[in-house]
Amino acid sequence: MADLGQPIMPVRTSWTGILGTPVSGYLAYVGRRLAQFVLVVFIGINLTYVITHASPIDPVEQSISVVTSFGNTAPDAIEQMRTALRDLYGLGGSPIEQYLAFWKRILRADFGPSMSAFPTPVTTLIGRALPWTAGLLAVSTIVAWGLGSLLGGLAGYYQKSRGLKLMGVIAMVLHPIPYYILALVLMIVFGFLWPVLPITGGSAMNLPQTLTFDFVTSVLQHAILPALSLILIGVGSWFLGMRSLVSNLVNEDFVVYAELAGVRPWRVLSFYVMRNALAPQLTGLAISLGGIFNGAVVTEKVFGYPGVGSLLVDAVYAGDYGLVLGVTTVSILGVSVGVLVIDLLYPLLDPRVKVS
Amino acid sequence: MTAILRDLLRHNTEFRTGAVLVGIVLLLSAMASFSPYPPQDVFVVPPDVPPSLTYWFGTTSRGQDVFWQLSFAIRNTLLFGCTVALISRLLALVIGLLSGYRGGWIDRALMSVNDTFIVIPLLPILVLFYFVMRDRMSWLLLASIMACLGWAYDARLIRSVAMSLKAREFTQSSLFSGMSTREILVQEHLPYVMPIVFSTSMNNMVWSIGLEVTLAVLGFTDINTPTIGGMIYWANQHTAMVAGVWWWIAFPTIAVIMTFIGLFLLAVSMNDYIDPRSRLHSFGGAS
Amino acid sequence: MLAETTQGYLPDEALPILSVHDLQAHFRTDRFGVKRDVKAVDGISFAVRRGEIYGLAGESSSGKTTLIKTIAGAVRPPLEVVGGRVDFAFLPSYGGLHRAPAAEVARIRWRHLSYIMQGSMNVLNPLRRLWASFVDFAYPHIGGSRKQFEQEVVAHLARLRLDPSVLAAYPHELSGGMRQRATIALATICRPDLILADEPTNALDVVVQKEVLGMISGIQREIGSSVLLVTHDLGVHAHVTGRLGIMYAGRLIEEAATAEIFRNPLHPYTRHLISSLPRIGDDVPRQGLEGAPPNLADPPPGCRFHPRCPLAMEICRCQVPATLETAPAHRVACFAVNRSAQP
Repeated sequence: MADLGQPIMPVRTSWTGILGTPVSGYLAYVGRRLAQFVLVVFIGINLTYVITHASPIDPVEQSISVVTSFGNTAPDAIEQMRTALRDLYGLGGSPIEQYLAFWKRILRADFGPSMSAFPTPVTTLIGRALPWTAGLLAVSTIVAWGLGSLLGGLAGYYQKSRGLKLMGVIAMVLHPIPYYILALVLMIVFGFLWPVLPITGGSAMNLPQTLTFDFVTSVLQHAILPALSLILIGVGSWFLGMRSLVSNLVNEDFVVYAELAGVRPWRVLSFYVMRNALAPQLTGLAISLGGIFNGAVVTEKVFGYPGVGSLLVDAVYAGDYGLVLGVTTVSILGVSVGVLVIDLLYPLLDPRVKVS
Repeated sequence: MTAILRDLLRHNTEFRTGAVLVGIVLLLSAMASFSPYPPQDVFVVPPDVPPSLTYWFGTTSRGQDVFWQLSFAIRNTLLFGCTVALISRLLALVIGLLSGYRGGWIDRALMSVNDTFIVIPLLPILVLFYFVMRDRMSWLLLASIMACLGWAYDARLIRSVAMSLKAREFTQSSLFSGMSTREILVQEHLPYVMPIVFSTSMNNMVWSIGLEVTLAVLGFTDINTPTIGGMIYWANQHTAMVAGVWWWIAFPTIAVIMTFIGLFLLAVSMNDYIDPRSRLHSFGGAS
Repeated sequence: MLAETTQGYLPDEALPILSVHDLQAHFRTDRFGVKRDVKAVDGISFAVRRGEIYGLAGESSSGKTTLIKTIAGAVRPPLEVVGGRVDFAFLPSYGGLHRAPAAEVARIRWRHLSYIMQGSMNVLNPLRRLWASFVDFAYPHIGGSRKQFEQEVVAHLARLRLDPSVLAAYPHELSGGMRQRATIALATICRPDLILADEPTNALDVVVQKEVLGMISGIQREIGSSVLLVTHDLGVHAHVTGRLGIMYAGRLIEEAATAEIFRNPLHPYTRHLISSLPRIGDDVPRQGLEGAPPNLADPPPGCRFHPRCPLAMEICRCQVPATLETAPAHRVACFAVNRSAQP
């Protein structure tokens, strides 16, 4: 009988780079993900360029007229706005020159002065608002995803539990509701019916924005309702997603086998079921980041939360083209970075990815 | 098909609930044809009247009957959702099938673009559109734009169905028996693809209507055509909550919630019915 | 030879390790108003002795896998045990694992009863290294310090000619043959009394198949387990099993020593099976059997084989033949062979 039983080593995965040196699978994966990231940002920003240039009207004049309609603006200020806008909009020269000028500004992160808060540069305004949005998004997403996945996983495994079935019904009700509606309901409930929580602003108006205990508490207080709005819907969605993943997983061969082998139920639940559902659930998170961001924008507007969402909406009302473009660009960039980070985490959860 | 619907209606609580909710909404939208007031007119009835026997849902601060206004709003909103779903189905089908069947570099290129549209946050893009278009933004235009942006997720689903169908044995035998590619696609494969198309249509409607409502409440759409979001926008403009005109906000909100939950339940129950694995799960699973 | 494998038990050597009595297990579904009752296992009785390899043969949909699942206690809706008992020498009461309390089941599983599952492709957790599987499955029973356990695992792997480096691998990094050998190692490391093997060589090529079978019988001899081997492949049965039972449509229709079955098959179905096996030098054209295996949701009355049987009589259509001993240690369920096979 031929001796086929002596394995040398199990199959190792490797990838030979262009230079002929062996590069581990993970680096190749990182390269692919980075390329996709660049593509997304590139297409996104080009999309904004196309949109702004597809308009039949002159957005510069329109912006100027909206801005100046608010009140008295000095003539030379108007001229500065016009030049800045024209430059940003790239109205000089041939189409190619316009396109290149546009990209030059984007790459320099120079969106010009804000029209509604002239002459504060757009980047300053965005810089002030970004931490608020980032904080709100990070906290609500992590809490919603974590809690929703945990509960959904339990619901998928313990399918007879009435408590978990009830949670499933609640999740089904919460998941399809648009963010705006829930925010509105929360605002009505806590603003008019049972006013215990603040419904506008990021912090109390009279407190200075320094890291004092009062300020931090005020920030947390004001963040509760916006975060709750995002978290409730998020938990609903992640619950349903995880529950469906786990329901399919419990019938997989390796789970049944582990149960037949007498592995303790909590161990099977943790290492064979939940652990294996994590990777697809994380992918789901990456896919939904855009939608969650949209939700954050609207929620901020409802609660007057001083993040980029409120900034965007107010900028539209004010006709502030530079600010709108700036926030849009930052949004695309931000969400893409989020997706990239999640993508890079993925192989750590699923070792099979390196092979492909 | 009717047999499937009858089965679902009889045995599946989720489908029943969804059907009831959507049925009520559809009924309301059908009533719009009987409205005594044209939808765009204002101050046709006394403003700020609470719900009563004459004005079932009350009246708005703009002198419109909330009930009749809502019926038009729902009709327009649903029409909007259907339009987006229709156009984006076409796009998703074309791209998904092309990608799945051809494979190779076409597949890779299309999927890279596809993933781009999945990642990009669409609200800022739509807001930018509105900013540039302003008053020229009709709902048809908005629907077309949203359809052009919202095909990505479903295209991937259709692509994976196409890929698995391509590899299946009955495709090979059809090819060998001399059927043309077009014949194979239409006669053999379409019956597998259609169920996915139907269930994703519901989800797509939920998504598009959600986005439209969001844009409308912010005032970023054609606010003269009544839509649910538009009603809430006007209510906010007139500070309805503070003024105590709660019915102006409450009824559109309830209508929206009913629509969404109803459509979602329909999609979920139809999905369950189609997917054979979920049928086994209904008998119980672990522990 | 057996004392070390049966902690706490000193049973009678003649007591069979597994005794199945009139087992009936059905799939009951009620969906969208349609009720179905698939009688997958319908009255099966047999016993597996200590230290023997007992084979179960039959085509797909004969109920073999359902039988194995029921014996292993993997009874989950829509599968229901409708009647009968499954008794083990190490678990004499309760009538089956599905009826035993959780503590007893936990004691039994893997330590006294282990399972080699069909299709080794997916039985190991793809996200955990092989070492973790050994820790999850075997360490609770073997105990001791981690070092000791590791040494024992490595020694056991060597018996199946697996290099210790496989412990650090993920399942997808191993070849099919290696994975199957790892699964056999996993199933035998606790030296169980009974190993249930469901199509253990299904997806392997012939050379690896022969190897794996050799390992199963080698390990079995070494640790003195009994094996219940289920496969449709008669060649595998000829190679390793001592006794063989033939299943058809949820019933056991013949049972004897493997050599006896091949030499002298009595039931018409078995005769057909044996005669259809290719033999070197024999170029008589093979005849197929008409018809198809019955639909178990609506099986034919009486003997389930009668629609296809060349020897079918009136009584076969009305009554179910009992599995009776027709020749020494040779049971058959057929009225044509055994006139007195009254139920």
